Amino acid sequence: MRIAVLLCLLAAAPAFAQETGFAVRDTEVKKEPFSDAQTVGTLAEKAQVKVLARQGGWMQVESGALSGWVRMLSIRMNSGQSSFASGLRSLFSVARTGSSGQTVTTGVRGLDKEDIKNAKPNPEELKKLAGFSASKGDAEKFAASNPLLKSQKIDYLQAPK
Amino acid sequence: MTRALLAFALALVSATAAAQFNLNINKLIETGKNIRDATRDVNEKEEAQIGAEYAAVLLGTGPLLANPEVERYVNRVGRWLSLNSERPGLNWQFGVLDTGTVNAFSTPGGYVLISRGLLERLRNEAELAGVLAHEIAHVVKKHHLTAMKKGKGMEAGANVLSMYLDQQRSAAAKEKLVSGMKEVMLRGLDKDDEFEADRMGVVIAARAGYDPYGLPSVVQMLQASNPKDSNLALMFETHPDPGARLDALERAMGNRMDRYASQPQAADRYAGVMRGK
Repeated sequence: MRIAVLLCLLAAAPAFAQETGFAVRDTEVKKEPFSDAQTVGTLAEKAQVKVLARQGGWMQVESGALSGWVRMLSIRMNSGQSSFASGLRSLFSVARTGSSGQTVTTGVRGLDKEDIKNAKPNPEELKKLAGFSASKGDAEKFAASNPLLKSQKIDYLQAPK
Repeated sequence: MTRALLAFALALVSATAAAQFNLNINKLIETGKNIRDATRDVNEKEEAQIGAEYAAVLLGTGPLLANPEVERYVNRVGRWLSLNSERPGLNWQFGVLDTGTVNAFSTPGGYVLISRGLLERLRNEAELAGVLAHEIAHVVKKHHLTAMKKGKGMEAGANVLSMYLDQQRSAAAKEKLVSGMKEVMLRGLDKDDEFEADRMGVVIAARAGYDPYGLPSVVQMLQASNPKDSNLALMFETHPDPGARLDALERAMGNRMDRYASQPQAADRYAGVMRGK
């Protein structure tokens, strides 16, 4: 059990290790990611936090000596973090690294406004796209695999007043 | 003399009135035509044709990622989500654009493209589902058609659409349509439509069995990123500020989605596919 928890934390840690944010308002810090869990303290509005992990609608944060879980949407991130150790970028880079050890993507410019202005319709790529499409049956089979994705009826959220 | 003058004056008045009347009629006919064009419903077949053109232009900016495993995986996730939307029967097609740019696009008719740069920054399948569900919402609500009708003044935009649909898809009409699409790609959709797609995306992901917090998590990732990163420039220019999106999501969601928050994130499957395992 303890090993499992440790593994979970290890798996979650790299994704958030370098990210920081702040509380949008005074926010209760819980011992566990549940609203009825024990409150271990309060983050003051604008208090800086280090983000350690996310689980459902909760974020595990650390702020000075205080640590625990807060509602994810009570935290806003500090912008301009070069935090792209997050996600799987490094994995793609590894895949694209040639035998020379040079990353092939280095220096490749992204899609910008000029690319759109200059774009000519490309029917060949459109045909290729169709070749990858999934049928209804494919999708249902996928959802029934592991992890199981169960379909359910849920009403849309109203626009906030 | 007096009588002649009076007759002349009467004739003048009625002539002017008639001219005025004709003018009004013409104006009315013209306005009526524009109103009809502007509100002309695009049927599903036409929507698919417009969407295919739109997707071909997006694919004209660069190729698809040459990784069939990743392409098929994104299609399965996307198609499953679409089955949980109000338009399950469209010819949904999903793809990965091979660009470092962080962005996702959709078109009328059910084409959805996500960039490799965004895929690389996602942490699990629930985040991917959130992004794709946001795009699916734009298609369900026909936000692009609305935006195209508003292009360069409502009448011009509506005319471009009806010209394309009514005039046997001539080369000239097609060229105008493509420039109308590019205008929307560069300008972005209506800000309220983006907020609506966020609210709907969260729900579509939850309906499909995913943790609904995937999309808010992606928006937080965008907020944490460097706004000067050129890979994010187009996305930031065409979407509301991430902080405003999070504020709106927080108010709309409250604790209403919490009961679905323990649904799968499928982080292992996501990492496995991306690593090519």
